[in-house]
Amino acid sequence: MCPPMDEADDGPEMDGEGDEGATPDGSDDRAEATPPQALTGGPRFGRRRLLRMIGVGSLAVVPLPILPELMRVAGLAGGQPEPVHGIGEPARTRDGRIRQWTMIIDLRSCDGCQSVGQPPRCTAACIEGHFAPEPMEWIEVFEAGLPGGGTQFIPTPCQQCQNPPCVNVCPVGATFSTPEGTVLIDQERCIGCRICMASCPYDRRFFNWGSAPVPPESLLADYSPEHQVPAKKGTVMKCDFCPDMARTGTLPYCVQGCPNRAIYYGDLEEDIATNGRAVVSASRFLAENDAYRLKEDFGTGPRVYYIPGHGEAVGRDAFTPDRQPTEWPWMERAEGAVSWQR
Amino acid sequence: MAALSDWKGRLEETALAPVRRTGWRYWAFVAFLLAVIGWGAYAYSVQLRDGLVVTGMRDRISWGLYIATFVFFIGISHAGTLISAILRVSQARWRTPVTRMAEFITVVALVCGASFVIIDLGRPDRLLNVFIYGRWQSPIIWDVLAITTYLTASITYLFVPMIPDLALFRDRLAGRTSRWRSGLYRVLAIGWNGNAAQRRSLAAAIGVLMILIVPIAVSVHTVVSWIFAMTLRVPWNSALFGAFFVAGAIFSGIGILIIVMAILRRAYHLHEYVTEKHFVNLGYLMAAFAGIMLYANISELLTHGYKLAEGVEFHFRQLFLAQFAPLFWFYILGGLVGPIVLVLLPATRNARGMVVAAVLVTVAMWIERYVIVVSGLRVPLMSYEPADYAPTWVEWSLLAAGLALFALLITVFTKVFPIIAVWEVAEDHEATVGVPGTARPVALETREPA
Amino acid sequence: MNTITRRTIRTAIGLFAVGVLALALTGPALASHVHVSATVPGDVTVGEMIRIPVALEAEDGAPLRGTTVVFYLHAVFAGVTGQAEIGRAVTDEMGVATLAYRPRLAGHHELRMEYVTPGETKAEVVTTAFDVTGGEQLYRSAPGIDVPGLNVGLLMAVVTTVWSILFGVALLIVAIARAGGEIGTPGHSWTR
Repeated sequence: MCPPMDEADDGPEMDGEGDEGATPDGSDDRAEATPPQALTGGPRFGRRRLLRMIGVGSLAVVPLPILPELMRVAGLAGGQPEPVHGIGEPARTRDGRIRQWTMIIDLRSCDGCQSVGQPPRCTAACIEGHFAPEPMEWIEVFEAGLPGGGTQFIPTPCQQCQNPPCVNVCPVGATFSTPEGTVLIDQERCIGCRICMASCPYDRRFFNWGSAPVPPESLLADYSPEHQVPAKKGTVMKCDFCPDMARTGTLPYCVQGCPNRAIYYGDLEEDIATNGRAVVSASRFLAENDAYRLKEDFGTGPRVYYIPGHGEAVGRDAFTPDRQPTEWPWMERAEGAVSWQR
Repeated sequence: MAALSDWKGRLEETALAPVRRTGWRYWAFVAFLLAVIGWGAYAYSVQLRDGLVVTGMRDRISWGLYIATFVFFIGISHAGTLISAILRVSQARWRTPVTRMAEFITVVALVCGASFVIIDLGRPDRLLNVFIYGRWQSPIIWDVLAITTYLTASITYLFVPMIPDLALFRDRLAGRTSRWRSGLYRVLAIGWNGNAAQRRSLAAAIGVLMILIVPIAVSVHTVVSWIFAMTLRVPWNSALFGAFFVAGAIFSGIGILIIVMAILRRAYHLHEYVTEKHFVNLGYLMAAFAGIMLYANISELLTHGYKLAEGVEFHFRQLFLAQFAPLFWFYILGGLVGPIVLVLLPATRNARGMVVAAVLVTVAMWIERYVIVVSGLRVPLMSYEPADYAPTWVEWSLLAAGLALFALLITVFTKVFPIIAVWEVAEDHEATVGVPGTARPVALETREPA
Repeated sequence: MNTITRRTIRTAIGLFAVGVLALALTGPALASHVHVSATVPGDVTVGEMIRIPVALEAEDGAPLRGTTVVFYLHAVFAGVTGQAEIGRAVTDEMGVATLAYRPRLAGHHELRMEYVTPGETKAEVVTTAFDVTGGEQLYRSAPGIDVPGLNVGLLMAVVTTVWSILFGVALLIVAIARAGGEIGTPGHSWTR
């Protein structure tokens, strides 16, 4: 008596031993008369059923790693790779084309706010506008050395890369690229693994290590990836190019905050940029002023351009060091404000 | 024949002894381990309550002890791969007494390693997002895939060769041990009684698994290394990481295996089966892998150091001369050169010497993971002062708890499951002792006439 | 004539002389009268390269050579209104400066041309306008290359293969269990 072949005794890829029940082998012990199942009964019957369950259970395990992809391919809900909720429509030009946000920072006009004797105003405006928790500086003014000595100040927002290392490595798609070319974070999906922080070559991502101290008014805000207020513990944050403001035609906080109007915000689709006072053709402005991007060799394709300089247009001498350290003015309004070091 | 059955009788008794008798030392040890794990659980509760700010990690050095320990545990899980699979494929008969321990280590280390990733998450409550929203392009998802595959394969590879031994336990302990235990053995032995059909299936399963598990294991530590190598950090941006990490994993796996072997040999009186020869053979393998690791380090450091591209000079200064120098040189001299010397010198080429070498290797490999993670993140990306990192009590407590969990699971395993692959050792013994007609190896041989 | 009449005539002549003198002095400014003719193309779409030749002619019909003409486009962006420089060209032998430009926005555009005639210091301005229709999305940022077959499907295939093999092993385990119904050997059950 051969047992029914409902479960094949060989797997699909066996080498050698695979045909226990199929070959009429003289030494096949199963040929011996074994009473049918019902007569053996007892624990052996229970064991068989248990093992059949285990066998079927292992069948269920097989597609587990590829199940999300299968769902996505089948078009089922819940398998969406992009967190589109909480994001508005892409910003468009007057004739309906999708804007491609860019920033051009004219370093000839940036002196780290030495001339106004304050911490950098772009950073301060961003902190105030977004209630960025201390010590996050979403746009940070670095003081870099120049050949021959002397320093230049480099305001560094998120570079909004077109080949973003952070988006590439995120396991859950919590950080993603938008149609406008910016990179946003969905803090409701972020699991806090911080591989994006390890992979960003510009040090532009910040983590909420604890419950960030925030002023009470920030708690009333409606959270969205375009408006990362209030901060969520255990997730990553960064500069977002103020997409909600830009869509309505308002310049981001840092652009508005710069007293020397060194930061231009623009649209590469319409090829235009402004620093709040002047309007320029973005491509001409970049080409005629020898603009460059940070760490170009890495191939990240940033959307932030820099025009070389050291504040000479506002009267700074390259050998004047130091700027005021950044402050978080609303910290005194945050109850029990305790933050952490970078 | 009498001598042979005496020998087999002794073997069986040795295998059954841990399950039959449990002394006070076992309970004391388990209590100690549980205390350490309990303290770690308290530390984790503090971390859950206050956030990762209780650790030493900050924005500039955003990974630390947890990720280093995760990589370390995944690394030592390759003990099983080497012994059970590679040595089995190459038909090295001396491996048989230690295969079971090696597979224990593999399964337990994978469980411990995976838990450290979860401990490191900022939002562990959203862990399921990894499965719901997982992106195939992410190295972490490759990691999840590889580790779940490897864990499943390892559990299977632990279980399948254990079936005949579980049958032995079932038969010999029936009625003489607690109900749940007899029930467990009966269920897990899945009706094994040594007939030809079963032995064929077993041989087939083992044959498939031993070949399959090697590429799975290689892929596991390769994708773990790619969590670092797929970033643009100067010390991590290397094509060599995959091979380097796999070699390091097998290397640290051998080290932990020697240590576990030594402990279990002493605790359960396995001196007749786990002999000096085993320690020395594993020592040779360890020295060979130390040589491979030295070669990999030289390749990596020399090719970067010759050119000193941006950031490499800073990294070399912190690695060779300043912040990480004591750790790095201990790793190179103590963990790589030391074991080679200990193996080469006849005076130390014995069980004790190999255990010393293994301890050096295990500690050095944890240090190496730590140095890779922290020094890699410390190289400044823009013009700012480099940050510093020091683990806090929470991180140290969780490291201790992880090691205690590793020890506890192995200890409990030895009390429940057969610690030696009895049937494989018996086969090996019969084949070498050469009693004709009695050697009927199950694995690797195709069916033979009854 | 009496004295009053004579004085009046003298004043009038004096005033007239002053007027002529003033006119003579201011003559060049008022009477620069450089003829500017810009040929604006019709039927322009967004992103299409257009050429706008601007001919500068002096009053006497002689072409103005070597004069730099700067072109501005009136633009509004993020609440800021201004003139964005979109190009500059120098007039050639024929007195023609040609702007090569790709319009990046549909609609009615005002083009402003500034030039400084030789001998002058102050720039002169002429405006014209043109219309643009369109358009398709111009700026595409899609980094990366696409190698057919080297994609997620390959990864899924590898993973599925490995798990199928593991499933096959699971079936072998089930086979062991099923084969437990047969009589095995008594005593030691791992060798015969």
